[in-house]
Amino acid sequence: MKTWSRGRTLGVGIGLIVLTNAIALGGVWWNRSSTPESALTLSERELGLPWRSLRLMENSGLALNLNLRVAGRQAGEFAGGQMVNGGMPEWLDAAKMAALGFPVDAARADGERPQNARQLPREVILVMELAGPAWQRALEKARESAGRHAAAAAANVGNKQFADRAKQANDELAREENLNSRLFVIDAGLDARLLREKYPDRSRFLLLRGTVRPVTHSRGDGAHQASGYVSRVGNGQVHVPHALRGPLESAPAIGEPGSGGLRFSAELLVGRRLEPWLIGVTPLAKDIN
Amino acid sequence: MPEAPAPSRSEAQERVDGIHSFRDELARLADEGILRLDAAQQAAVQNHHEHLLAEFAALFDVDRDSRAKQLSLGMRVASFLGALALAASVFFLFYQFWGHFAETAQVGILIASSFASFGLTMWLQRRDATGYFTKLAALVAFACFVLNITMLGQIFNITPSDKALLPWAAMAFLLAYTCDLRLLLAAGICCVIAYVQARLGTWHGVYWLHAGERPENFFPVAALLFVFPLLVAHRRFPGFAPIYRVFGLLCLFLPMLILSHWASGSYIDLDADLIEGGYQVAGFVASALVIWLGARRGWPETVNTGIVFFVIFLYTKYYQWWWEIMPKYLFFLVVGLTAVLILLILKRLRQTFHAPAGEGGP
Repeated sequence: MKTWSRGRTLGVGIGLIVLTNAIALGGVWWNRSSTPESALTLSERELGLPWRSLRLMENSGLALNLNLRVAGRQAGEFAGGQMVNGGMPEWLDAAKMAALGFPVDAARADGERPQNARQLPREVILVMELAGPAWQRALEKARESAGRHAAAAAANVGNKQFADRAKQANDELAREENLNSRLFVIDAGLDARLLREKYPDRSRFLLLRGTVRPVTHSRGDGAHQASGYVSRVGNGQVHVPHALRGPLESAPAIGEPGSGGLRFSAELLVGRRLEPWLIGVTPLAKDIN
Repeated sequence: MPEAPAPSRSEAQERVDGIHSFRDELARLADEGILRLDAAQQAAVQNHHEHLLAEFAALFDVDRDSRAKQLSLGMRVASFLGALALAASVFFLFYQFWGHFAETAQVGILIASSFASFGLTMWLQRRDATGYFTKLAALVAFACFVLNITMLGQIFNITPSDKALLPWAAMAFLLAYTCDLRLLLAAGICCVIAYVQARLGTWHGVYWLHAGERPENFFPVAALLFVFPLLVAHRRFPGFAPIYRVFGLLCLFLPMLILSHWASGSYIDLDADLIEGGYQVAGFVASALVIWLGARRGWPETVNTGIVFFVIFLYTKYYQWWWEIMPKYLFFLVVGLTAVLILLILKRLRQTFHAPAGEGGP
């Protein structure tokens, strides 16, 4: 193997640095250069600030956590089966998994344990809906749960167990009304254009890349069913540009011990490569207490 | 007659070691009365060697005796640790302060640091006869380039991609071959391994970050790495070919070892016992073949890697078969006797080949 001259090595090295940066920055420009694919106004419920103790350590950058939810199959007592940042949605059945490219053994899908558990996650495009019917259902469930437990507590006055359950259900309702994310994963596909045709409202439906892992769902009667688990969505975080950091710089996050949380609205755009970016952050007058 | 190209640092050090060995052996032969050079011949050889030693010392600051060699080993360790620490320092320095700058400044700093560290490495390489400072600068240059691309991804929320591994590998190889650095060669090889297995996973529809969960994705890159030094001669970089071969063998044996105990990771849709048993047998056969090939070609690192994995495959089987049912003294006795048996087989193999130690291949 021949060695290169110093000048040639220098040229190749500089060329490599220039080319790599040009490709990366060119991709950013291309992503942002046309009409945004999605444009949503989110709140601190969907874009969570990290806790200050974590934020101010060794990393001076700031990114907001994208909090998405999945309406799961098994309803819990209070949370109504709503899982945060991943879960097994009702609509992700064997047919949908097959449409996403997972080889689902139809003969075994409703009978024996399917073989799809050996498969690995695939990248898909996820559709997220902001404050839509899925969130309304979650809210309704929380209200119904709070009402049911309040009635049970009223019928059993003096019973601490019933009183605790009623309080817990009430707290859950308050969280659902004020704190929990309203962004629900409602569909998935492989073609962004087709999904956008199906969900045309760009200010309500957010399209981002994510992954789906095949799982086996037990129906409870001994039978198994092929299903999927929605996990990673995008980077999981959205970087806050320096110009927008001001109001968020030292603000407390929701749920941070010993403080309320800053209420804000954030304008999120998603480009043609389905990569998001923030264009505005507006603090709201009232903090969460 | 065309002028011979200047030797690399490794070649120069090899020649210096050869000169010392030659002098020692010549002195012994003279003592035993087998060979005695006349005064003119002695002077000619002595002059030639002194000239070479002075030239190599000026060019590369090579180790001229065993004491210098011991010291340079310590310097190599210090240089390696220092390079790792400096690379980590660059990462943490940027993370500590990047949030205080606007995006344009962040991008400017990242690109400038890549250029500056690469330029510094090239500048140092001309002036640093020892090579230790070049190694420090080269690893920092690689860290700056990795940081450059990683941080662009964070700043602009770019979807993570395995394609970033390609320019990282290219930069690592460029620095490794320019500065004769095995550490960066290993870094480049790791990037190639990660990229090839991720691509194979992606072709099967798997998200690239999960492709490593199918250990069979590593087999093609194992073959590629093992064969590469046979296709491309590395005479000017004597330590490079063994590194390719060792990484190639690791990409072969580690997946085999995993699959011999975890059939669920395999692409093969057969009975789990059959897959695990198959990989156990394949592991024994492959490691035995590698030992034979290494002994035949005079590749000590290949022989050693083969032996290590043969023993691991053997002892894990022993553990599965006998740990529960045997008294512990008997179990360890069997393990010890097996080690003796392996020693006897290797001794026999060595006698068969009479292979000289050292680099046998290209």
